[in-house]
Amino acid sequence: MRVRGSFLMSLYLFQTLNGLGLGLIYFLMGLGLTIIFGMMNFVNFAHGVFYAAGAFICYQFIAWTGMFWVGLFAGPIVVGLLALILERFLIRRLYASDHAVQILVTIGLMLILRESILLIWGTVPKNVSPPEILSGVLLIGDFAYPKYRLFIIGVTIVASLGVWLLLERTRFGMTVRAGSENPIMVSMLGVNTSKLFAATFALGVTLAGLAGGLMAPIRGASAFMGAEALGIAFVVVVIGGMGSFVGALAGGLIVGLVQSFTSGFWPEGTNVMIYSVMALIIMLRPNGLFGRS
Amino acid sequence: MLTKGKMIVAAASALMITSGVATAAELTIYNVASVSGAFANFGKQAEKGVKLAIEAKGKAAGMDLKMVTVDTESNAGKAARKVKAVIGKDDAKFFIGSTLSSTALAVGKEVNKAGGIYINGSGADEITGKQCNKSMFRWSAPTYGAVNASLTTVLDRNPNIKTVYTITPKYVFGEAMLENAKILLEKRGIKLVGNSYHSLKESEFSGYIGQAMAAKPDLLLLLNFGSLATNTIQQAVNFGLKDKMKILLVWSNGIDHLRTLGPKISEGIYFGSQYWHDEEAPANKEFVALSRKMFGETPNYPMAHYYQMTKLMLDAIDKVGTDPVKIRAHLEGLSYAGITGDEMIRAEDHQVEKYFYLLEGKAKADMNDDDDLAATLSKKKYFLPTSETGCVLG
Repeated sequence: MRVRGSFLMSLYLFQTLNGLGLGLIYFLMGLGLTIIFGMMNFVNFAHGVFYAAGAFICYQFIAWTGMFWVGLFAGPIVVGLLALILERFLIRRLYASDHAVQILVTIGLMLILRESILLIWGTVPKNVSPPEILSGVLLIGDFAYPKYRLFIIGVTIVASLGVWLLLERTRFGMTVRAGSENPIMVSMLGVNTSKLFAATFALGVTLAGLAGGLMAPIRGASAFMGAEALGIAFVVVVIGGMGSFVGALAGGLIVGLVQSFTSGFWPEGTNVMIYSVMALIIMLRPNGLFGRS
Repeated sequence: MLTKGKMIVAAASALMITSGVATAAELTIYNVASVSGAFANFGKQAEKGVKLAIEAKGKAAGMDLKMVTVDTESNAGKAARKVKAVIGKDDAKFFIGSTLSSTALAVGKEVNKAGGIYINGSGADEITGKQCNKSMFRWSAPTYGAVNASLTTVLDRNPNIKTVYTITPKYVFGEAMLENAKILLEKRGIKLVGNSYHSLKESEFSGYIGQAMAAKPDLLLLLNFGSLATNTIQQAVNFGLKDKMKILLVWSNGIDHLRTLGPKISEGIYFGSQYWHDEEAPANKEFVALSRKMFGETPNYPMAHYYQMTKLMLDAIDKVGTDPVKIRAHLEGLSYAGITGDEMIRAEDHQVEKYFYLLEGKAKADMNDDDDLAATLSKKKYFLPTSETGCVLG
């Protein structure tokens, strides 16, 4: 009886920690999307492919240098630079367009980028190994948890705090928030809104690249990994409310915990549960948990 | 001096040449593969296999050869609708492949209704079992053969294995794999301490791995495939399971899985495989050389079995023409030199009897070259007797 109790305790502890870890990763994926939508009112369906690009660039830099840390650093930076270029020549032309146009163009962009990944890296997924120091598991009695997943939790917390401070406690963040409310007024006050929006778009995409790089040692790098990530990111944003930082955090944690616990008692129903929770929240709070009406 | 008749012939020939009118008939092979969706990677490799077979053959029965891909989108319903459409529109008769068993079964019914020929490589026992039909042939060993050929060897080599945990995709292929594994484990007196089902769209396996860790089995038996299996193994190793138990992936993509995982992860893990490029059979050596020449790469399982299936179809057409009835009669009972060695098509259920491999991932230090990622531990043929498959060719 005591053995059974200890087994269940260990399993629940595992599922909780695992759910929190997953939730923070999903938060990171959703955060970029919600920043771009919330601050710029721009719907980016190419968000998932930037996540995949982050994983591949991370892989490539590791292959060139043999150093994981270089890859993890290069992934989001290169993806962020790519976002700046795309914003300059394509995305900024869509800010004034209807959401339907934004969706169509970003889906097209997603297909072009995905095919480019296939052309460069081929169809076979790539493996990325975590550095030696983060390999293996942390053992606490019978309980084991991968060191690398703990590292992801730490990095995500630090990155999220950084983004929160940037948006809430700096002049840049204040201007971005003001620009999202009334871009014409901000522009009349002498702020270059083009640069402001370009930086915001690049920030959101950089977070997707960071999430991709972080996930590469867990799920590898595959050209098709972006579609699932985009789906999860949208669920996170819808649950938390479009444009809300705290909402994305709540959404990510809810999705992670639901997925982790459902896999324990109804493994084949994890996606059903995630989407059911989303549907329930939309019914009770149509703008999401922390969304603005 | 040209006569009037010769002038007319010459003028007609010149007209045909300049207008680009084809003089030879064209034979189309329909490649049924998932080139989009969750298993797009598999489909893109499979396409290369068909192209290689067409390139190697050149012409069949005097006709130029052409491949048209029917993208199944990893969805049985869509695949069946698309196949029905090309049958209706183009009178399509010759179909190769499918990624998922559910797709193969659905496509098989449509091709049979149209009286065509369909050679596939999917795993579910039903394909050459209770749901077999006269148009459908299968090259790959079914789940029965894959489970028995790989698991038997692993259990023989590791007599200390007393408990097993399985991770299974929830659909017809996974169910067949699990059923066969259960029968074999029961026969060997080994306890199945748990199973986790997952959907075909899953990419996060940590929850299932947590369940497996808690059950503390001696062997983690993976009954999924493709990128699902890659993710499962990668995450299982992340969680330190390789140090605590043996791991066997029954239905691997061979070299693709080993390349993707890399020797650091795959070392010591068992991989069941329908194909391995190091096979000494002359037909395989020819195929490997062709693949390296045309694509500059060592072939993997999707390429290999689509190549072999297309080759079977084209050789048959070359021999007896394009009448599906004659092709069927020719294929039934045919013995030939295949890419896994001697292969034979059973007349009673249209199942190809071929070898199935068990591989073990090598350490990087033991590899002779970049493709030498695994050692072949066994090469076996396991097939249900035709009297037990339940197949009645209607």
